[in-house]
Amino acid sequence: MNGITVRIGAALLGAGCVAWSAAPLVSGGWAGLALFVAIFCVVAGALRLALIAVPVPEDSFLLPGPVRFFLRVLWVLRQVPWEEGAVVAIVWLEVLHSSRSWHTALLGAALIAYLLATHLAESGSPARVLRPQTRVLAAGTVLLALGAGAGMLPAVAPGAGSALLRVLAAGALIAAAGLVLPWVTRGEDQG
Amino acid sequence: MSSLTTNDVPVRPGTQLEPRWRSSRHARRLLTLGLAGLFVATVARRPEFAGLAAPALLLLAVSGPGRVQRRPPRVTVRARPSSRRGFEDEVMALDVSIEGQEDCRVEWTLRPGREIAPVGPTVAEGPEFRFTFTPERWGRRDLGTLDVTLRDRWRLAEGHASLTLPRIDCYPAPASQRTRVVLRRLPNRLGEHPVRVPGDGLEFSGVREYVPGDRQRSINWPASTRRGRLQVNTFAAERSQDVVLLADATSDVGEPGNSALDLALRGAGAAARAYLEARDRVGAITYQWGGASWLAPGMGRRQVYRIIDSMLTAETGGWTSGASFRRLPRAALPPGALVVVFSPLLDQRFVETLRDMRERGFIMLVIDVLNAEPPSRPFSRQRAADSVARKVWRMEQEAIRFSLRELGIPVVHWDGVESLDLPLAPHTRRPMGVRR
Repeated sequence: MNGITVRIGAALLGAGCVAWSAAPLVSGGWAGLALFVAIFCVVAGALRLALIAVPVPEDSFLLPGPVRFFLRVLWVLRQVPWEEGAVVAIVWLEVLHSSRSWHTALLGAALIAYLLATHLAESGSPARVLRPQTRVLAAGTVLLALGAGAGMLPAVAPGAGSALLRVLAAGALIAAAGLVLPWVTRGEDQG
Repeated sequence: MSSLTTNDVPVRPGTQLEPRWRSSRHARRLLTLGLAGLFVATVARRPEFAGLAAPALLLLAVSGPGRVQRRPPRVTVRARPSSRRGFEDEVMALDVSIEGQEDCRVEWTLRPGREIAPVGPTVAEGPEFRFTFTPERWGRRDLGTLDVTLRDRWRLAEGHASLTLPRIDCYPAPASQRTRVVLRRLPNRLGEHPVRVPGDGLEFSGVREYVPGDRQRSINWPASTRRGRLQVNTFAAERSQDVVLLADATSDVGEPGNSALDLALRGAGAAARAYLEARDRVGAITYQWGGASWLAPGMGRRQVYRIIDSMLTAETGGWTSGASFRRLPRAALPPGALVVVFSPLLDQRFVETLRDMRERGFIMLVIDVLNAEPPSRPFSRQRAADSVARKVWRMEQEAIRFSLRELGIPVVHWDGVESLDLPLAPHTRRPMGVRR
């Protein structure tokens, strides 16, 4: 995969995450604002990746107005953490919907893919740099699926206590995974 | 074993840098996703969001400090230019290497200084790399800075360090000059310029009658046969001369890279090489505001670098204050020396100094390096007086050159593109005499 492909892939994944979390569009809960922020951040992040190789002249004195404006835009594009904003807005959009566990799980996988693709695009690294993380990513995917499964479990009894219990169960899963991690990463350390 | 490598660049032990470690942008994004998921899972009591946060939090937990890889607190970085001296537009190299980075991936970013143009990539990865660059204009140039970024194997933590690169001396690219202006009267010193006085040179001078003491190998047998008496060949003596290159650094007009000072230095470099190859003694005087720096005439190939150094930095040789050269020691301006002047002739005090030197008997040749005119206003704001002023300025310049020629100082114009041999041709065909 060359750099352009990865950049396009990151932009498409971002757009897909926005569409996936927004559909069907709900009203209330600042959904419109969240959708606007998500779209804006994804577009700005894609622009940042597209202009990542544009050099900035060291001496910016006596430059024409349009060039100075472009440099200012470039500076803003490179300084603001657009992807973080997009992630928060996308999660916000997903929360506004009623519980749909597998939908959320797929969104989580897509978000992770979006962040990894963005990282590859901005660092210009090949995809093989992610190879050492495959075990952990696999473990994370299992946890993602377990979380989704826990979300689908019917509550023991209606009320806040049962929901909290499910959250605690998910947290316990993550803690258990953390205990298993040294075993998972042992092979990497030796390699 | 010598500690010097080629080009006299010492091998430095390296610079110890302490990287500033922080989480990468990738890690901050993962943290945002993880915290957002956990927050929603707790507040909205929806466990699927805890699952959404799980992969990101796992990645962060695994790569935490001390889990996968140790982050080196300090590294040793070496940055060595291929040479500390170079010429304009010469491609030079900068070798960089690092030690103590452990398993971290290393990324180098070269931030070149002013007038330093990278030839190859400015960003590279790996524990060793060779950057290539070229200095675009003469002078003492800062190479710039070298940013070192260490990344852990999972690219979730970054260590940043910066190294200030050394300076290099960039010499002006010398112009081309093969022929030389030779004085008619040369000091009695062995050299390579044939003179009219008979001597032990290589150039045939004439035939005369044999006298006892002449070497037999110099007998001209055909002439002896024709005349019936022994005839011997005579040869011209070979002498050297003192040449002083006088560069006018008071006015730097014209486009950068092709300005009057650029041309003066390039021409002086070419002249220094040409005369030193003929075993002449060559010195240099750089005329600046408030005085002049000088370097006494000398011989040898290293004198070229001394001359250019003295013109660039004024650290070698001496310094005399004042606009006149009367205070210059005889070592800097030997009597009877040929003075080759590189000047745009814009400074009236410098022109007066030339006249003064001519009246003191120095033989001079002025190479006019002015290739620019006063800038004109935009077309919409042009006035009729502008063209008149421009004409007056041109006439003044012509008058200055005419007055110098009238004093017996030849003035030739050089555009900096063609070889110096072309404008100097009228004066290199025959020895240059003194017009009283």
